[in-house]
Amino acid sequence: MATTRSPLLLLLLLFLLSCSLHIPSVSSWKKDEFRNCKQTPFCHRARSRSPRSCSLVAADVAIHDGDLTAKLVSKNGEPFENPLILKLSVYKGGILRVRVDEDPNLGPPKKRFEVPDVVLGEFESSKLWLSRVSDEGVSSVVYLSSDLEAVVRHDPFEVYVRRKGGERVLSMNSNGLFDFEQLRMKKEGEDWSESFRSHTDSRPYGPQSISFDVSFYGADFVYGIPEHATALALSPTRGPGVEFSEPYRLFNLDVFEYLHDSPFGIYGSIPLMLSHGKGSGTNGFFWLNAAEMQIDVLGKGWDAEDGIALPSSQERIDTHWMSEAGIVDAFFFLGPEPKDVVQQYTSVTGRPSMPQHFATAYHQCRWNYRDEEDVGNVDSKFDEFDIPYDVLWLDIEHTNGKRYFTWDSALFPHPEEMQKKLADKGRHMVTIVDPHIKRDDDYYIHKEATNNGYYVKDSSGKDYDGWCWPGSSSYLDVLNPEIRSWWADKFSLQNYAGSTPSLYIWNDMNEPSVFNGPEVTMPRDALHHGGVEHRELHNAYGYYFHMATADGLLKRGNGNDRPFVLSRAFFPGSQRYGAIWTGDNTAEWEHLRVSVPMVLTLGLTGITFAGADVGGFFGNPDTELLVRWYQLGAYYPFFRAHAHHDTKRREPWLFGDRNTELMRDAIRTRYILLPYFYTLFREANTTGVPVMRPLWMEFPADEATFKNDEAFMVGNSILVQGIYTAGAKHASVYLPGGQSWYDMKTGVAYKGGVTHNLGVSDDSIPAFQKAGTIIPRKDRFRRSSTQMVNDPYTLVIALDGSLEAEGELYVDDGKSFEFGQGAYIHRRFSFTKGQLTSTNIAAPGSGKTFSSNCIIDRIILLGLSSGNKSALVEPGNIKLTIEPGPLNLHARSSSKALTIRRPNVRIADDWTIKIL
Amino acid sequence: MKPNLSFAVILLFCSNLILGSASSPRGFLGIPPQDLEYFKSDVIKCRDGSNKFTKAQLNDDFCDCADGTDEPGTSACPVGKFYCQNAGHVPLLIFSSRVNDGICDCCDGSDEYDSGVNCPNTCWEAGKVAREKLKKKIATYQEGVSKRKQEIEQAKLAITKDEAELSKLKKEEEILKEIVEQLRDRKEQIEKAEEKERLEKEKEEKKKKESEEKINEEQKQSTEGPVNDHHETIGELDEHSHEQKIAESKDEPAVADTDDIAEHAADDHGTAKVEADISHDTEGSASPEHEGEQDKDVNTEGLSKEELGRLVASRWTGENTEQQPKEVSEENEEKHEENPKVDDNSHDEEYSGYSSGMDEENHKYDEDEMEEGDMDDEIDQNDHVDSGTYDAPYSEDHDDFSDTISNSPSWLDKIQRTARNILQAVNVFRSPVDTSDAERVRKEYDESNAKLSKLRSRISSLTQKLKHDFGPDKEFYSFYDCCFEYKENKYTYKVCPFKQASQMEGHSTTRLGNWDKFEDSYKVMLFSNGDRCWNGPDRSLKVRLRCGLKNELADVDEPSRCEYVAVLSTPALCHEEKLKELQHKLDLLNSEQPRQHEEL
Repeated sequence: MATTRSPLLLLLLLFLLSCSLHIPSVSSWKKDEFRNCKQTPFCHRARSRSPRSCSLVAADVAIHDGDLTAKLVSKNGEPFENPLILKLSVYKGGILRVRVDEDPNLGPPKKRFEVPDVVLGEFESSKLWLSRVSDEGVSSVVYLSSDLEAVVRHDPFEVYVRRKGGERVLSMNSNGLFDFEQLRMKKEGEDWSESFRSHTDSRPYGPQSISFDVSFYGADFVYGIPEHATALALSPTRGPGVEFSEPYRLFNLDVFEYLHDSPFGIYGSIPLMLSHGKGSGTNGFFWLNAAEMQIDVLGKGWDAEDGIALPSSQERIDTHWMSEAGIVDAFFFLGPEPKDVVQQYTSVTGRPSMPQHFATAYHQCRWNYRDEEDVGNVDSKFDEFDIPYDVLWLDIEHTNGKRYFTWDSALFPHPEEMQKKLADKGRHMVTIVDPHIKRDDDYYIHKEATNNGYYVKDSSGKDYDGWCWPGSSSYLDVLNPEIRSWWADKFSLQNYAGSTPSLYIWNDMNEPSVFNGPEVTMPRDALHHGGVEHRELHNAYGYYFHMATADGLLKRGNGNDRPFVLSRAFFPGSQRYGAIWTGDNTAEWEHLRVSVPMVLTLGLTGITFAGADVGGFFGNPDTELLVRWYQLGAYYPFFRAHAHHDTKRREPWLFGDRNTELMRDAIRTRYILLPYFYTLFREANTTGVPVMRPLWMEFPADEATFKNDEAFMVGNSILVQGIYTAGAKHASVYLPGGQSWYDMKTGVAYKGGVTHNLGVSDDSIPAFQKAGTIIPRKDRFRRSSTQMVNDPYTLVIALDGSLEAEGELYVDDGKSFEFGQGAYIHRRFSFTKGQLTSTNIAAPGSGKTFSSNCIIDRIILLGLSSGNKSALVEPGNIKLTIEPGPLNLHARSSSKALTIRRPNVRIADDWTIKIL
Repeated sequence: MKPNLSFAVILLFCSNLILGSASSPRGFLGIPPQDLEYFKSDVIKCRDGSNKFTKAQLNDDFCDCADGTDEPGTSACPVGKFYCQNAGHVPLLIFSSRVNDGICDCCDGSDEYDSGVNCPNTCWEAGKVAREKLKKKIATYQEGVSKRKQEIEQAKLAITKDEAELSKLKKEEEILKEIVEQLRDRKEQIEKAEEKERLEKEKEEKKKKESEEKINEEQKQSTEGPVNDHHETIGELDEHSHEQKIAESKDEPAVADTDDIAEHAADDHGTAKVEADISHDTEGSASPEHEGEQDKDVNTEGLSKEELGRLVASRWTGENTEQQPKEVSEENEEKHEENPKVDDNSHDEEYSGYSSGMDEENHKYDEDEMEEGDMDDEIDQNDHVDSGTYDAPYSEDHDDFSDTISNSPSWLDKIQRTARNILQAVNVFRSPVDTSDAERVRKEYDESNAKLSKLRSRISSLTQKLKHDFGPDKEFYSFYDCCFEYKENKYTYKVCPFKQASQMEGHSTTRLGNWDKFEDSYKVMLFSNGDRCWNGPDRSLKVRLRCGLKNELADVDEPSRCEYVAVLSTPALCHEEKLKELQHKLDLLNSEQPRQHEEL
């Protein structure tokens, strides 16, 4: 297409194009309805900037309130530019924070938006008060950690972190792409409005974008910045040899039938990028900014035209960050290990909340289970086929005309009874509650919201009137804490008629999705609390809504019941409020494949409780794909099947006996591993390290893992290889590291550090337990996880080359917050020198305790020679025999392994078991 | 092994585990009586042969056999089954996963012996209810079975009758065919002769004219033109009669009397044609409309905010965007989807009936019974009407035709006689042709030909009917001419076995499917290839059949979009074997009764 000079011309062109072209809907992604970089003025402008065009100089470097401050002054003395304020802060653990904003003393037209309620107060208070800055002439240096220093070079202005030895780690503006458009007051005759399709954005403060470059030194790959349906390792979007590509876009959008490989922005945004390299370790860069962001990963030689040598001879990956509004509030995370970066990031934005135990089990969803009878039938079918499930979901059709908190009285006349029936079997229900409110004067939410002025306003100050499921709708201004609190109260059992304590919530459409808005969302000049423009907070809208909903459930349970809220939109910090799913995917093999990097990326950026719709939302999966999806989905941290209402029913028993069996096995695999998963959720809750991890997180030195996103780790013990093609007979599986891996189905050991070509059958996907680990299981099947509470445990010990292994088990009441006061059991099992020991690793309690009489009744030993015949349990001096027993209690599994029969030691106790 | 008692007590709370002495305290719990023998030996094999276990390991709450053999009474093995006796009710095998899970599954409570949950024994009450229910069911079956027998008898008679009729009709067809052919020959001869006469007359007239005018004129070849015409006309006529079309009337000199009817017939034709055109048109317009919709997907520029909102919403919902809220737009969607249906219908009928054009016409007329009846009357009663000029309606109407059939000897005799008389009486070679003779032949030919068509159509519909699979005992024969309706909210569902099923809302009809087949050993009727769903499959309907005293449709449901299910009660499903089964079950239940009673 010819380059277009004016947006008007472009519009005309688009119009003509759309009129003349009848495009059959092969791909339903409505590309034209979304802006590309060229159609986005700030992006187009920033992308056309050439390196070294930044003329800012850091002046007046000083220490102020424990921060290093400086003024960024334009060397060229551009007439309308005021000096900017640069602020560097250092936090405990060596986290560097860099802020750039307009100088409030120079009277900017208004305060630029800083995203509130994301950075933890706890983190803020861990700031190290700088007292000294060393002046190296051309630059100022502050201490970061024993090994690292932060440097501000004055002219041209640049910020970077270096090791004491001088080696660079992470830098900003090394390529001089920094640009900061200051707010302006409109003068007479000035018009900054811009149009896209039929929508006009008034842009009352003129262009206000920010862009700069960030360099990751010694990095082989960069990762992160969800949400995109792309590979785990981010490919360059600019540079020689890179086919024309859009930058990675971060703009929360409800994209109909998104593509499986595109840098296009979808439902959520986290501007955190991680880098990893064999030499450099892992680093992270996070820009806290809620406006539309576009990020280019620059391929090697992208700046060659410029002909200027790099300021450092180190290998590095350059990136270009562009945002439409807000301020620079950036964090440098310096690892050096992958898990360190995630820890550092979640120390700023919060650790993932501890989920309810039931929520870590299997969820059954469909748009829609139509009525109470349907719900009853589906529920009883699970029992009839002995398939466990924990949660049944109701989509939008359960409401009275898409008025949330109401029920369609014809379809759901007895919601409480219905929930109780599920609850009697230990099951839960989830209903959907979206942020668009039907504009109906008889709807109490709308009445209250209107009367209280709780809606987002349009640019003229009237309640913004958009369109969503209920038709004409308005949107709650959840930026305002008062409105969030009001909203939270709506979830009380009194206020939410027909709700019971076993009901939890699903937030959909919170990007927000506005069917008749620009790019299916809210106009950028809509106004929020405190005069904040929608453009400034767009990406955080869903986050605040998610927060308010989770707070509602917290209030409902008087602070004793962990909320469960699934959200589609997300932002940094969303991990504190609940689970995230990857939205409306499609029932295709490629979507199954891309679900893995998508969920892995969410995990790397804090959101560990994530999953994709099993089966694919749009379309009808063929049976093999559905089975494979169940087999893979059983390892997603969030495991839910969901389907569009135009699709055929696809509950697991609808595809013949054999496939029912396969899907039941897949679901049971998850239930068997629930103790392991729950232990991992606790690890995430305390450290931020995700449940589902890229291989390189566990094997940071193994280069063969850096790009691998077809396999993944669950915790540190299990490697899972997805099967992404129909009729696969073989799979090529790379098993990293030096240790062996035990096939979890057969117990056969495979060598590590080698790619194995393995035969694959339809009954499972390859999964391996790493030698040197111990996995706790619960082998008994129940209707739901609720009935498993008292069931005995199995320990599977996979011995490494030196006949050692280690694992953990975390148990608490599964629902309350008492674990926060020490009410939990946390054990370490270690096997060394022929002896298995259980030790307490719980932090010293603070008041509350949790007890369990559960026992371990089976210990499976992989890698032990069959010469060992007996074991001695202490205390008690009980001698037990070791004999071959089933590795898995599936009827079809004939694999055996050495088993200690009924040691019957309590999980809460200290004990040892000695192999004789 | 020495039992550690205090330890065991603690374990009770959590693991339901009792460290047993040599033989398990649960003994033979959960084993069906007929299997007890299997567990009597000291060393017992897992049924799958994978392992063996000692008596002490039976029900010791630890799974030794992957197939669950060793743990019938506990939840330790995932694939096991637990037997509860449920005295007073029926015994039950439940999944091991239900044992001691805190939920009462057996009415005697035996599955929760160690979960801390107290399950009251409800077998007596539940058994009573079950027995009552069973008794009712048996009563239904008893009556149903005899109804079914009656129906089968009737069906057999009816089929025999149909078959007899068919063979008779076929014979009649033979005879009639011959007559028609003879009459046609004669008619054509007459027409030829007439034509010849006409031409000669013309010639003469021309000559007369020519002589009347000046003889000087040269135009001698003027006769050539008319001769050509003549040939053409004959050719045309031949063709027409061959095809048994009736449009001849137009080519022939119209008799004043017949004008009205001829016009009428022509009109009728016209209407039919127009209808076809319409269906064509709507089909044609449907696709542009659809295209329009897609265009709109791309071109949203000109839309109002509301239109845009609806349009984008429709991508997910698949609803039409033009209309007001959901209900209406659904309605609209159906109307929209109805369009192709008109077209489909005519296709279907083409397939279901004979593929000849004649048959298609039959169906069209069939839909217009009123008019058809009127015409029949006219034909039968008003002899003066020259029905030969009229495209006699081929009636498929059963009663109407059976009347004709039942009178058939006289009817066919009459025709035969008349035809013979005519053929004898009318001498073609008499010149000039006797007009009244000619008319007689023509009329007789047309009438006979019409009868023949009617006959053939009846033959084809009978053949078609008898081709169907009416079940192993022909128990579904009576369904052939039935439709069953069920009203739910705003919808009326109409199921016509062996034909089609539809959903009606007001004036709009959506085809849920055409008759496909019986499935699941005649327990399900399948209708498939119904109207297409937006973004979904073709509609289909599965009608599950169950024993009932009346043919009654109920519980229409749509579990997946555009995949409908319904239940039809019918005596046809009241099988005697099933009745025996139920009675046996009741006997079993009753045999438990007294003992249970004593216990209470």
